[in-house]
Amino acid sequence: MAYSLSLSLLYLGLLCGNGLVSARGSELFTADPSRGPHFMGCRSREQETFRCWWSAGTFQNLTEPGALRVFYKTKKALSEWQECPDYTRTVENECYFNKTYTQIWTSYCVQLRSVPQNITYDEACFTVENIVHPDPPVGLNWTLLNVSRSGLHFDVLVRWAPPPSADVQMGWMSLVYQVHYRVRNASHWEMLDLESGTQQSIYGLHTDKEYEVRVRCKMLAFDNFGEFSNSIIVHVAQIPSKESMFPTTLVLIFGVIGVVILLVLLIFSQQQKLMVIFLPPIPAPKIRGIDPELLKNGKLDQLHSLLSSQDMYKPDFYHEDPWVEFIQLDLDDPAEKNESSDTQHLLGLSRSDSSHFLNFKSDNESGRASPKPVDLPLVSRSSSSISDLGIQQTSEVEETPIQTQPTVPSWVNMDFYAQVSDFTAAGGVVLSPGQLNSPPVKKKEEENEKKIQFQLVSDGAYTSENTARLLSADMPPSPGPEQGYQAFSTQDIEGNLWNVEYLVSANDSQTPCLVPEAPPAPILPPVSDYTVVQEVDAQHSLLLNPPPSQPVICPHSPNKHLSAMPTMPMGYLTPELLGNLNP
Amino acid sequence: MSRSLKQVAVLLVALLCLDPHSRVSSAPICTHGPSGCHVPSLADLFDRVIQHSARMHSVSNDLHSEFEQYFLPSKNHIGKIYRKCHTSNILTPNGKENAQKLAREELTEVILKLLMAWRDPLFQLHQSMADQQDFNSFSSNKALEMGDMAHELRKGVEKVAEKMRVLGMLGNSVTGLSAAEAMLPLSESGEAMSDYELLYCFRRDSNKVQNYLKILKCRIVPEHDC
Repeated sequence: MAYSLSLSLLYLGLLCGNGLVSARGSELFTADPSRGPHFMGCRSREQETFRCWWSAGTFQNLTEPGALRVFYKTKKALSEWQECPDYTRTVENECYFNKTYTQIWTSYCVQLRSVPQNITYDEACFTVENIVHPDPPVGLNWTLLNVSRSGLHFDVLVRWAPPPSADVQMGWMSLVYQVHYRVRNASHWEMLDLESGTQQSIYGLHTDKEYEVRVRCKMLAFDNFGEFSNSIIVHVAQIPSKESMFPTTLVLIFGVIGVVILLVLLIFSQQQKLMVIFLPPIPAPKIRGIDPELLKNGKLDQLHSLLSSQDMYKPDFYHEDPWVEFIQLDLDDPAEKNESSDTQHLLGLSRSDSSHFLNFKSDNESGRASPKPVDLPLVSRSSSSISDLGIQQTSEVEETPIQTQPTVPSWVNMDFYAQVSDFTAAGGVVLSPGQLNSPPVKKKEEENEKKIQFQLVSDGAYTSENTARLLSADMPPSPGPEQGYQAFSTQDIEGNLWNVEYLVSANDSQTPCLVPEAPPAPILPPVSDYTVVQEVDAQHSLLLNPPPSQPVICPHSPNKHLSAMPTMPMGYLTPELLGNLNP
Repeated sequence: MSRSLKQVAVLLVALLCLDPHSRVSSAPICTHGPSGCHVPSLADLFDRVIQHSARMHSVSNDLHSEFEQYFLPSKNHIGKIYRKCHTSNILTPNGKENAQKLAREELTEVILKLLMAWRDPLFQLHQSMADQQDFNSFSSNKALEMGDMAHELRKGVEKVAEKMRVLGMLGNSVTGLSAAEAMLPLSESGEAMSDYELLYCFRRDSNKVQNYLKILKCRIVPEHDC
């Protein structure tokens, strides 16, 4: 008896040692077929009731209901083993403990017994709060928070409700939740942190991918998670990115086309410049204002007109330089001269080469460079005075003194003077040719006389046309024909214009007086070429007297001739005399 | 005669000096009134206390699971199951309905009793854990923190009880807990409980306190569906 008792106790102890279920042994839901009858697990859903499940195991003869029975005992004083208060009818091998039989914070032990044999196959001890597995949350849904700018990612907010069986409002159960999500049909679930509220955000999901989201809960400060809720599908369709790509490609294409058009326009607009850069032209000789073709063709008239329009012909120069005292007379070699006279040149009757003009030009600088104080009745004229009259005189005239017998210059054939015959509308002076058929001697004498009678003009330059007009306005018309000249028109101005330059000889010129040495030549008609310079105005132009009506017998000697001038001294006018003349 | 006269004079002077108004009595700085002080409502007090108890329970759970994981891998529950906690003598409602059926005063008293019972054992727990080399400093600090939290929670619950008494929600049956409640944690066999047993018991009791406070709040502070 004692032996059997000890044996049974030993066997019981072994069973107890083997069959102990941990306090949290609620994971044992899979029946272990290799074992005998055992508890699969005990669970509480809301911390108010709990259930226990068992399995017969390999002992097939115990599968019929009632063969195995559950006894429980609470860890309290004076407690006994009691049988399961409720064997669930609907579920096989389940023992249900309702609220009455459930005590929290109390240790329970349940035993699986076979009553006929009085064998305890399994035992489990636990406390109810440690076997609580809350029900899954309900009402899981999601809302879209935002979509990223690129349209590749989005965020969602997931919401749920606590399980209805859990009394969270009173706080009997404090639940915390855990959200899982994964790409659909993937193997790995992403876990988020425990959340005590009933919503959570999921960030960084990819568009065009389907996600599975589920949630489960457990009691705060306990370790047993409940079952997962039903999974929901989260999916956001990707906004077609072609629209965003489309404008960029268009912009690129238009940009390239625009740049190409700009380049083409640039090339066409700058074609000339580009041609110059790439194919520079060969420089050709060029005179400003003159067509090179004209020079080639050699049309002298046009060339003459062109050259005459140049600045060098302008008579304004002598205004700026009033103290050029001498009129330079060019004395060209007779060999260089053409047979035609200068007057003819002036009048444009003959065609001469441009050498005269060139010579003429060359004396410009010499004449203007140094106004020489001359004691001689030299008439020097700057080249600028030639403007319209174009009279040329050589410098050899300077050499010859007045008193000396005037040598016959080699230029005797040259006409000094040209009668102004007419005025153009533009104010130009038209010259009439001089007396060509006069006898050379007489002409010579006349010329000598004229030469002698040349007085030094104040500034040795012709006045401008305007001044000449002014002067001529005061002059009465010169009477009578001139003697030495042929075409002496009745116009006033021309004669007076001509006479501007000559001081003393104006009176004399009108008189048919001759030089005493000269043979008595026919009285020359009074030439109204000459007049008396009345005064010099502020502009340094000469104001002339009208010529006297009667010819006055000129004195024999030029000195007398000179002294007979009431107003003007004979001979050239020095600057001092000119200064006296000034008002 | 002169002696008695002196005594009478002294007595008279004492009587005169004992101005009732001059007696110093403790009065709260914040008197009733909206201006100046913010007096928390009873609901706020309960919320604070419940939050505190939840935190205390969480710490105790962490310590317990850590203990189980590192020091008791064998899961030998036989001994554990049959050990009794020193607070098992305190009658506590073991279910939701039982707690709801209990009177407010009794519930408050249970809470205070539990908290009071753990004042010294927790100090002992910390001491033993600090002494042993097995525990790291983190665990011993947790034990110390746990002890402090239990102490603060007790003070808080006392304040709540005072407030309830002032508001007339509690009767005067709640007696001041004296030193008589302090019990020594002794097992059945008379041995001192081990650290693991202490942790196990405290974890259970902290959960009790948390739930009791919630039930009490629900009954005192009228809320929706409570």
